[in-house]
Amino acid sequence: MRRIVALWLGAILVVGGLGAIHSVVAQAPVAGGTLTFAAGADPDSLDPQNTQSNPGEQVNRMMYENLVRFNAKMQIEPGLAESWTQSADGLVWTFKLRKGVRFHDGTPFDAKAVKYFFDRVLGDEKPFKASLYTPFVQGAQVVDDQTVRVTLKQPFAAFLFRLAHSAGGIVSPAAHQKWGKDLTLHPVGTGPFKFAEWVKSDRVMLERNDAYWGGRPLLDRVAVKTVREDSARVLMLEAGDADLILNIPPEDIPRLRKDPRFAVDSIATARALYVVINVKKKPFDDVRVRQALNLAVNREAIVKSLFQGNAEAISGIVAPLQNGFAKLPGYAFDPKKAKELLAQAGVPALKVKLWSPKGRYVKDFELAQAVQQDLAAVGVEAALTTMEWGAYLSATKTGPEQTDRELFLLGWSPSTGEAQWGMFPLLHSSQLAPKGDNRGFFVSKALDDAIDKATTATSEQTRLGALREAQQIVIKDAPAIFLISPNMIVGASKKVHGVVNLPLELTYLTEKSWKEK
Amino acid sequence: MAVYVLRRILLLVPVLIGVSLVSFGLLQLVPGDPALILAGEEASEEVLIRIRQEYGLNRPLPVQFLSYLRHAVVGDLGISIQSRQPVATLLGQRYPFTLKLAFLAILVSATLGVVAGIVAATRRNSPLDLAALLGSLVGISLPIFWLGLLAILVFSVKLRWLPSGGAGTFAHLILPALVLGAASSAVIARTTRASMLEVLRQDYVRTARAKGLSDRLVVYRHALGNAMIPILTVFGLEFGYNLGGAVLTETVFSLPGVGRLIVEGIFARDYPVVQGALLIVATTFVLVNLLTDVAYAYFDPRIHYN
Repeated sequence: MRRIVALWLGAILVVGGLGAIHSVVAQAPVAGGTLTFAAGADPDSLDPQNTQSNPGEQVNRMMYENLVRFNAKMQIEPGLAESWTQSADGLVWTFKLRKGVRFHDGTPFDAKAVKYFFDRVLGDEKPFKASLYTPFVQGAQVVDDQTVRVTLKQPFAAFLFRLAHSAGGIVSPAAHQKWGKDLTLHPVGTGPFKFAEWVKSDRVMLERNDAYWGGRPLLDRVAVKTVREDSARVLMLEAGDADLILNIPPEDIPRLRKDPRFAVDSIATARALYVVINVKKKPFDDVRVRQALNLAVNREAIVKSLFQGNAEAISGIVAPLQNGFAKLPGYAFDPKKAKELLAQAGVPALKVKLWSPKGRYVKDFELAQAVQQDLAAVGVEAALTTMEWGAYLSATKTGPEQTDRELFLLGWSPSTGEAQWGMFPLLHSSQLAPKGDNRGFFVSKALDDAIDKATTATSEQTRLGALREAQQIVIKDAPAIFLISPNMIVGASKKVHGVVNLPLELTYLTEKSWKEK
Repeated sequence: MAVYVLRRILLLVPVLIGVSLVSFGLLQLVPGDPALILAGEEASEEVLIRIRQEYGLNRPLPVQFLSYLRHAVVGDLGISIQSRQPVATLLGQRYPFTLKLAFLAILVSATLGVVAGIVAATRRNSPLDLAALLGSLVGISLPIFWLGLLAILVFSVKLRWLPSGGAGTFAHLILPALVLGAASSAVIARTTRASMLEVLRQDYVRTARAKGLSDRLVVYRHALGNAMIPILTVFGLEFGYNLGGAVLTETVFSLPGVGRLIVEGIFARDYPVVQGALLIVATTFVLVNLLTDVAYAYFDPRIHYN
């Protein structure tokens, strides 16, 4: 009987759902209007090669385009390049470019512009994001107007992902020559929207690019507003002063969901949150202690109660939405086994330092508190401290001699969307702090080898196999307490259509986005 | 008087040098690396070195300070490490805004505060007095943050009368000015009441009444003038604070004012922005104090500056 009721309920839901989809499809897009989009922080830069934060990247994604781009599933699809081929040794890539594309300043987009991009990131200017390309790109050559050949120093499996990264946005060479580093104040790309105005800390105004190669954009204007205060953004949406808002505080979600005027989307991301373990400090050099810490944490309870389902438990350091993620068994919640392991390692009771930022990631400090409680249950007493983000970044990046840090919460979202960049900067032995981001000083020859193999693979099979091996090693060696991958929460008026939410925590609009009158 | 004003203005120079030194020193004491914050977690070591070089962050501190001072003297406040915009431009965008907000807010608080204070003082122990006292107590105790959100909820979300935040038109300034003004009006109301009560007790007020002057004339002409001195002091302070940036109000209403510029500058370790903004704030404070002192002399002819 219960099953029949469930079936009926299911059927009703499906039909209801189809009805809803149908009504959306039936609506014809209308052109015109300004869409107001409220984000929590100001862009750091509007020069894609110098932009490092999401608020900047998502504005750039509307103005600039890359040779290749991500679809919603984080797969690569053609962008400004229509097609590409790779030589058998993986060293030479040839891109066929889209015809008839112009930058907002009228400069034609052609092979010269692409070569200019590579010359810039490889040259003396050293833009912030150059390091995404310098380790493996040799240089670019113009074959003809519509063809570019890029030569690599070594085969590089994730090359296309690096190009799809926001830092791969192609800038008008004329604009860069004119403005140099001040390009950030005068951005010029080929995207569906062009730059109009940037009032720092207040708004960036974008206008429709009538000459866009993909057709005239439906929206006239996009206003990206900086609204720091979480509740103020929600109130703006409710007052009709914003059409689209980011990072809704969890406590406001149920209320907005009940309101028929709004749609609230909870979208899985490529970000992993974890507690780094300083393996140079005793007793964390003992793998049994690190495994015990992992066994002590009840991830499912954290996802359920702290995040109300707006997160996913992760078994390793790679989040499921990173390309190359391997589904592997991790540490189930087992406090009894954790205690046994700690006893075996000779530390039945342990006092540790636990650091956490506050407000950098969704519920970061509350997450650290949950970890603190779980650790206490297995006899690990953690003293929890928080720091302002700027200080935290520095304090967790000093060299092994300059620090007494033990456990510290951090998050990583590889903005290339794939697992090589989800592990290499954090765990490869060439990336030890203070130079790199391996802030827990983890060194493993086996892991280095697996990551290197994935890095230089010339076939997809080798790449995925090596990434899988690397993830296995990471789980076994437990250089961190793996926690969760949080969802991004986007709220919008139901009058808004065609919003793109990329799992890289980027929300933006395209030529196809529109707004009901 | 003119000499006095001139001397006070000249005193600005040592004050500003002192402010620069203190703000520079404090910023250096704050842990955190501007290059690391600017370039982000993915940046390589070379990039960090490049940024430190570009903004001169790798020079010895005394050299950095003197170079800053040398440029500041000729009006060059440097460029923002974070946005590359000249600090002078940023301040030029923000300061008029803060000025407008502060003026509107002080207008609100002066009207509200002084009227409530006078009413309370002249009708002492009446229900009106009680209401004014209670109202100002609530005004002082309410966090401005909460008051602002409440105002947005009522006037923007429910009633749809005013915009919920951001800048642009005059309408955008009404709610923030009311909220900011309401908060400082509480202090002004209390001061006005106390000061008026003291003056109203004095002999010359009784004399004025005995002459048969109307109550209104006695209160507003004879008493208020003398009661103004402490009220002016509070005015000056509140106005100065508002000009220094009403950070919380600016944050709740997403206003691009000087207060948020400073706070965001501190989080980004954007040294030139914070130092430049503090210079402006300090200058404003000194000028407002000077204005207050001059106003004393206007209200009380017994005060002379020589």
